[in-house]
Amino acid sequence: MKRYEILEHKADLKIRAFGKRKRELFLNMLFGMAESQKPEIKKIKRIKRKIKIKSLDSESLLVDFLSEVLYLSQVNKEVYFKIEFDKFADIEIEGKLIGQKVERFGEDIKAVTYYGLDIRQLKNKIWEATVLFDI
Amino acid sequence: MISKKDFRKISDCLWEIPKSFRADMKVPARAYVSERMLEESFKDRSIEQLVNVSTLPGIQKYALAMPDIHEGYASPIGGVAAIRISDGVISPGVCGYDINCGMRLLKSEHTEKDIKPYLNRLATEIQSQIPSGLGRGRKIKLSIEQIDKILEQGTHILQKQGYGEKEDVENCEASGKLDWADASVVSDHAKNRGRDQVGTLGSGNHFMEVQKVEEIFDKEVAGVFGLFKDQIVVMIHTGSRGLGHQVCTDYLRTMIPAMQRYRIKVPDREFACVPFSSPEGQRYFSAMASAANYAWANRYMVAHYTRKAWKQVLGEKEKLELLYDVAHNIIKKEKYKIDGKDTEVIVHRKGATRAFPPGHPEIPRKYREVGQPILIPGSMGTASYVLVGQKEGEEAFFSTCHGAGRTMSRHEAMRRVSGQEVVKSLESKGIIIKCQSLRGIAEEAPMAYKDVDEVVQVVHSAGLSKKVAKLVPTAVIKGE
Repeated sequence: MKRYEILEHKADLKIRAFGKRKRELFLNMLFGMAESQKPEIKKIKRIKRKIKIKSLDSESLLVDFLSEVLYLSQVNKEVYFKIEFDKFADIEIEGKLIGQKVERFGEDIKAVTYYGLDIRQLKNKIWEATVLFDI
Repeated sequence: MISKKDFRKISDCLWEIPKSFRADMKVPARAYVSERMLEESFKDRSIEQLVNVSTLPGIQKYALAMPDIHEGYASPIGGVAAIRISDGVISPGVCGYDINCGMRLLKSEHTEKDIKPYLNRLATEIQSQIPSGLGRGRKIKLSIEQIDKILEQGTHILQKQGYGEKEDVENCEASGKLDWADASVVSDHAKNRGRDQVGTLGSGNHFMEVQKVEEIFDKEVAGVFGLFKDQIVVMIHTGSRGLGHQVCTDYLRTMIPAMQRYRIKVPDREFACVPFSSPEGQRYFSAMASAANYAWANRYMVAHYTRKAWKQVLGEKEKLELLYDVAHNIIKKEKYKIDGKDTEVIVHRKGATRAFPPGHPEIPRKYREVGQPILIPGSMGTASYVLVGQKEGEEAFFSTCHGAGRTMSRHEAMRRVSGQEVVKSLESKGIIIKCQSLRGIAEEAPMAYKDVDEVVQVVHSAGLSKKVAKLVPTAVIKGE
């Protein structure tokens, strides 16, 4: 199973991610966003940042989670490819993002949108989510 | 699927979907487009999005699309919605993430012939003075207190601190300061994202161009605007950077659950809205104004660093005078006569430019007799325009287009043309290009956009705004 794919979009970045479980789906969407930022990394030292999000429902949780990661990425000039979940519930996430310092980003992702947001479980039990990012 | 048969032709450049088209429409949806452009618009979901705009509570007269319409997140880009204050809503999605993305035009005293020998040095110096994008900011990080002052006082605080010229405040929409801004309703997240981005260009379609006035269409108005043939001018296109995006993100997050309380249903979460008079609506309106002030301050400082570059290359006495600065993603309170009554509305303009007519009190005194200057950028390497507001524009809540409008995805553009090819093509036309990334150049290739000449011709013919001057690039400095 691939972790994510980039879908065609006229102006922005559309990512579809997959996961056997919802937490894996969130992790893979995070990974897809991080790779799409095209970070230039010089220092390999790992950085950990705590994150805690509570939302209205699982769709909002995904957008709010990615928005918070994007904020931390922008202000700290870091990229996060992974998260260690301490808690993963329907509308709540707690965990530690794992990332690295970035020299520069090759792509400026500016926001995570709700437009056409979709999370679903396919017949084969695989979870799939589609998110449009403003670039 | 919406098609041409669902439209009623009102004129060669105005088409309407009647209110009866969908049960939830509160007003008709109107598109200012040529027949060819209308057919093109069915290639994406922009017309469906325009119909969605017409369902917003309190919307007056029509949901409007400008000829540069293309698919956005909630409202199409190139969309206008005037919503009655007394019983209507406010929607961050119909302003957009890049609050007060807009245009600024600086005029030199020189012709192309004077500047040509210095052009490459000028472009290089401008690029080195102004960080472009990719989350990279300026070396100096402002404190939260300094950001708060910018949010509430916009360009005025920068002038007090000694930056810029007197006319930089006078010749700016709203003088670069919306009075209802309130820094306390802007999150720390947003403020932090803005700390190192005052005076930065941003990425994507944001750019600066050194341009030449190629053609004057209206000598009288051009004279009032201080434009003459072959004159060198500098165009700046940028907005509120990460701060504005964060404000939009924050308030969508607030409004999505709040809609349940107000029993509002919308076709997509990006349309999230609340009553204008509600506490959430009022807080967003002030936060949006704060981000708008930040954007004006950003363009003000980009102009400051451009002048610094200009003086370094051409000498200390050299001037770059501000023609005008105008937003194309913003929400403003305005008054119109609707059904015979004076009605206060909040005009949401997303990818649309305000275009006030001659005599309007909100236009700087020096331009009041002829109308508000409007600045329309073309795609990279193509023409840009200076237009002027017209009385006939009232039918469109004094709004006009904002640019060319994308027709092709970034990936499609990159598949069709390489950055190197675009650079070569621009160089063959004698245009200098400065950009860190060839990929960024390919993504913004002119072929990925509508023809700006056609877009401008529609607003000119429809009477939304009138052509004053055509500008062509001599050097392009791009966000990455």
